Amino acid sequence: MREVAIIGVGSTVFGKFPEKAIFELGAEATQAALKDAGISPEDIQFAYYANLYGGMVEGQAALRDAGITDIEITNVENACTGGATAVRKAWYDIASGLYDIGIAIGAESMTTSPIAGKLIPPAKGDLSGELGMNTMAKFALLQRRYMDISGVTLEQIATVSVKNHHNGCTNPYSQYKKEFSVEDIINSRLICDPITQLQSCSTTDGAAAVVLTSLNMARRYTRKPVIIAASVVRSGDYAFRQKDIPFSDVTSKGAKDAYTMAGIGPEDIDLCELHDAFAVNELQHYVELGFCERGEEVGLLMDGITSITGRLPVNPSGGLLSKGHPLSATGVAQIAEIVWQLRGQAGSNQVPDAKVGLAHTLGGEVADLEAGAVGVHILKV
Amino acid sequence: MVTKVPFQKGLFEETSGEPALIGSKCGLCGQVLFPAKSVCLNCMSTDVESVKLSRDGKLYTFTTVYMASEHFPPPYTVGWIELPEDIRVFSQIRGWQEHPLKIGICMRLYIEKLWQNEDNEVIGYVFRPTTGETLR
Repeated sequence: MREVAIIGVGSTVFGKFPEKAIFELGAEATQAALKDAGISPEDIQFAYYANLYGGMVEGQAALRDAGITDIEITNVENACTGGATAVRKAWYDIASGLYDIGIAIGAESMTTSPIAGKLIPPAKGDLSGELGMNTMAKFALLQRRYMDISGVTLEQIATVSVKNHHNGCTNPYSQYKKEFSVEDIINSRLICDPITQLQSCSTTDGAAAVVLTSLNMARRYTRKPVIIAASVVRSGDYAFRQKDIPFSDVTSKGAKDAYTMAGIGPEDIDLCELHDAFAVNELQHYVELGFCERGEEVGLLMDGITSITGRLPVNPSGGLLSKGHPLSATGVAQIAEIVWQLRGQAGSNQVPDAKVGLAHTLGGEVADLEAGAVGVHILKV
Repeated sequence: MVTKVPFQKGLFEETSGEPALIGSKCGLCGQVLFPAKSVCLNCMSTDVESVKLSRDGKLYTFTTVYMASEHFPPPYTVGWIELPEDIRVFSQIRGWQEHPLKIGICMRLYIEKLWQNEDNEVIGYVFRPTTGETLR
C-alpha cells in the first residue's frame, strides 16, 4: 500500500442556508478544495460524495457545477460517519494504486431535509424508532445512566459545551460564534431530559472537501503534504454484547485499529476533533480514544488539559457544538480543520507545533446495535 | 367498530390477561434475544426456542422527550428496562407523571394503545412503575 496525503481542503461556512441546494454547498466546498490544492477540475480522477437526506446522484450534481464530469463518482451514506467513510474510501483507492488523485466530499442541508426542525429518527420501520427513539433520546438515556453511576454533574457536562463554544467564537466556519456560560447551557430549552438545547449540536447546512494523492505525487503540489497515517471505519456490535451503555466499544475498537495502523499511541496526539454531537459524548470519547482511564475524563476537561491552550486540545475548531452538524459533511470538515492546524493555518484557533491530529465521528441509530458506524482518522506532518 | 392491531407482529402476546414479550433463547449458548430470532445472533446456532420473557424488570435508564416523534406527541417518556433474562428492552414508559421515575425501580409490562391509525387502535407494549405491588 502507498502512503496517501492530503494536498487541498475546503469548506463552506456552516449555518442555516435554506436557499441553497445540497449540490450548491457541495460544489462550493469542492471548488475551495481544488483552489487550495492548486489543481484543475480535470486533474480529479475519482470522487466519493457523502450525503444522507438528498436524492439520487447528489455527487454528480455538485461535481458538475465544479467542472468535474466523466469520472468514477460514488455516492456514500453512513449517517454522521458518511464524510469519514468517503475519506476512507478515497484513501484506499489511492493507497491501493487504483488512482493517483481524487476527492472526498461531504454535504448536507438539514434545513431543507424531511426532518428539518425535528429530532433525527432511525430509518423507517426501525423497532425503536416506532416506539419514539431518536438520536438525542439515545444519548439522553446514556447521559442519565452515566450521571447516575458516575456522579458526574450536569454542570461538568455543560462545561464541554462552554469550552467548545468558546473555541468556535474565533472559527470563521462556525455557525454560533458565541460564548455561553454553564448557566446558559443548563437553562436552555429542555429537549430530551437531561439534555438541553445547548448541550446538543445544531443540525445545520454545510459541505467540506479534501483532495488526496499519493505522497510521492503530493510533493509536486505542496511543500507541506498532510499524511493520512490511519483511516478506519467500522460498524457497531450487537447491543446485547454491550455491558453498560455509557461507554461504547465501537469507538474504542476503531481507535485501537487506528493507533495500530499509524504505529503511534494516544500519547502522541497533539489535537483531536471528536464527535461532540452532545456535550456528554466528549467525556466518554476521551476514555474510548485512550486519552485517559475511565473516571479521569472529567478531570481532563476541568483541569483545562483539553482546552485550546492545554496539553491535548479537543475540538479546537469549536466541534459540532459550535460549528453545527451537517451530518455527512462533519467527518470531512473535521479533517479539513486538522489539516489547517497541521499546516499552521488555523489562525486564532492555532494549536502551537501541532504535528499529529485525530478525527473521530460516530453515527447512526438502529435498533439492537450499539451504534451505526465510527470513523477514526489520524493525520500527521 | 375499533380494531386493535399490534404495531409490529410477533413481539408480544396477552393470554388471559397476562401480557408477555416473546423472545428467543439459544439452546447452545443460552443467549436470550428480543425480538425473537430464528437464528441465535450470538453464536449463529439454529437451535433456538421461543420464550415468554418476564413481565417484571428494573428501570435501567429513561428520558422524557419534549419534541414530537412520528407517533407520539410531547412530552413522552421512553426508557430501557432490564429483565431478569439479562437483556434490556427499549419501551414507552407510562405512569411517569404520577410516579417519579428513578433508575433501578421496578417496572411491569402492559399491552396498551400506542397510537390511533384511522379506524385502528395500534397496540404495543409499555412499562409502568410497579408502585405498591409486590414482584413475583
